[in-house]
Amino acid sequence: MSVPSLTMSTEVPTAGVEISNISKSFGNHLVLDDISMAVTPGSVTALIGPSGSGKSTLLRCVNLLEKPDRGTITVGSQTIEAGSRVSDRDLLALRRQVGMVFQSFNLFPHFTVLRNIAFPQERILGRSREEAEERAMVLLDRVGLREKAGQHPGRCSGGQQQRIAIARALALDPRAMLFDEPTSALDPEVGVEVIAVMRELAETGMTMIVVTHEMQFAREVGDHLVVMADGHIIEEGIPAAVMADPREERTRRFLSAVLDR
Amino acid sequence: MEGFIAVLAALPLTLIVTAGAFGIGMIGGIPLMLGLQSRIGLVRGATRLLVDIIRGIPTIVWLFLLYFGVSFGGMRLESLPAAVIGLGVISSAYLAEIYRGSFQIVPRGQSEAASALGLGNKVTFTWILAPQAFRTAMPSMATFLLALIKDSSIASTIGVAEMVFAATTFARQNPSTAGLVPFFLAAIVYVAISVPLAVVSRRLGTRMMVNA
Amino acid sequence: MDLSLYLPRLGDGLVLSLQLTAISVVLGYALGLVFALGVSSTNKLVRFPTLVVVEIGRGIPALVVLYIVYYGFPAIGILFENVLAAAIGLTFTAAAYSSEMIRAGLQSVPKGQLEAAAALGLHGRTAFGRVIFPQGIRSAIPGLMGLAIQSFQGTSLAYSISVNELMSQSYQVSTITFDYLAVYAITGLMYVAIAVPATWLSMGVEKRLARGYA
Repeated sequence: MSVPSLTMSTEVPTAGVEISNISKSFGNHLVLDDISMAVTPGSVTALIGPSGSGKSTLLRCVNLLEKPDRGTITVGSQTIEAGSRVSDRDLLALRRQVGMVFQSFNLFPHFTVLRNIAFPQERILGRSREEAEERAMVLLDRVGLREKAGQHPGRCSGGQQQRIAIARALALDPRAMLFDEPTSALDPEVGVEVIAVMRELAETGMTMIVVTHEMQFAREVGDHLVVMADGHIIEEGIPAAVMADPREERTRRFLSAVLDR
Repeated sequence: MEGFIAVLAALPLTLIVTAGAFGIGMIGGIPLMLGLQSRIGLVRGATRLLVDIIRGIPTIVWLFLLYFGVSFGGMRLESLPAAVIGLGVISSAYLAEIYRGSFQIVPRGQSEAASALGLGNKVTFTWILAPQAFRTAMPSMATFLLALIKDSSIASTIGVAEMVFAATTFARQNPSTAGLVPFFLAAIVYVAISVPLAVVSRRLGTRMMVNA
Repeated sequence: MDLSLYLPRLGDGLVLSLQLTAISVVLGYALGLVFALGVSSTNKLVRFPTLVVVEIGRGIPALVVLYIVYYGFPAIGILFENVLAAAIGLTFTAAAYSSEMIRAGLQSVPKGQLEAAAALGLHGRTAFGRVIFPQGIRSAIPGLMGLAIQSFQGTSLAYSISVNELMSQSYQVSTITFDYLAVYAITGLMYVAIAVPATWLSMGVEKRLARGYA
């Protein structure tokens, strides 16, 4: 079976992501303690761990929604050093390369589905309205929601909204994608639709970092599994191997807790 | 009947004062709202104090201050501009609070999503946050407009010939026959403009909830 | 001209303004409670007329209410001295506005509270007085405090029926000194000196009440 290309554009290659020695505190609480992690271009990394382990914060550091206190972030050929003053231009350039999907979708409720996907393209990539909307329709087709184009997000189900959010991020031709618990706000049967879209995206060779509780997705789609606890990476490796035989007691406990659910 | 015509003839001036002040307030409220939200503590504190002072001074004092107290090279303000400016300043302060409240209701995820997409601050504010805040602000703005229509009657105290001024004048000119009538007529007109506005604002409120 | 000479006069005006505020708030809120109960009544003959009175009070400008009491009632043979007319007019306005706040407060008490009271064997007056009313009035307090501040500012309208409160005193002083800007600025700040701290106080109370229910 041939998989339709979700990213479509061929001129934008996917990029690797490198996180080096990142630390981050909220007040006195150290959330990330000297974390380093490399994601090779075109691979899928699943980030798991109990709530409060710092996995979402780490993900948000990659596109600087959270500013790390120390360390460097590299996406493709662009490196940003924490602590130094990051110019708006560098910040936007980094974010332009990285797409993000949130747990709560965060579609713009006052725009139609089509505008949600077209507007950022016009503003950020300078595409014409026709061009942007054409691209939006192609992506809506790919996520199976062409008929929703003219509606407002409020009229779409959660699963549909999340697929639209993925299309919105992809429309900017990102070189890597971040997913912050993309199915946690959804009923399991709806989450499946979203997982299917993500699976397809992975097969096109997109670099993906996914914070998730979906162990099946992590095992089947993930190339790499990272387990976090208390601001540290406690274990990492090939997903199936880590799940079958965790080295750490904490990993074992976490896995049995999630798998029981 | 005569009294009713006299009062009704003054309705346009009531509407002009109200609309002028509301217009000034809608625009003037924006910089004040930005000041109230400023990241710089000093700016925030100073704006807070300014807004509280503006709202702390009664309308009638504002109007007298502007009408009697302010002059440009010996030229005093006319009563109509003094009333419009005075009520406009007060409206700015109240609308700034309404705007601030509605910006706070816009979920954090909206600005985060805009940031993550790579949209700049100005674009995010103008196209993402402001339209959403404006929608949630509309019912409160309508309520404020209703109050402003009534407050425009205070312009009569500096001689703006709006409805209450017309009612007082008519009552004074016909002391034996008029009695309560002109004031009740004015009251009826106020209620007549307020009720449809209240209905519209309530409908705006419910429609917004459906679309949210 | 030395304005400090006239400060005592403005001070006298402020005292009268505060007295008018106290009267209109105390009597107005009491009447407001009566209105609120009337509007919530199941008896149509009580509910409908009360609703009309409340909507009139909220729908027409406070200034018009004062004119009706002071200039209008004499025409039908009822004469009020101006301070009394101001007190009556301001009380009525405060009553109309407060009744809506009190009604909303009482309505916000969950129905389960009344059911729970009934299940415990509390009935009618006891259930209302000891269970519903204390909870309802509590959520109405921030609004009522704000309304009290507005009532204080609203006393300035009594100037228009020649009551010697702060605004009238200020007008008279300004016509003696011709120093309009300074006199009205001082007057404005006197209102601010009461209204702004009161606003801050009410915001503090609102926060504490909100915390109490968390």
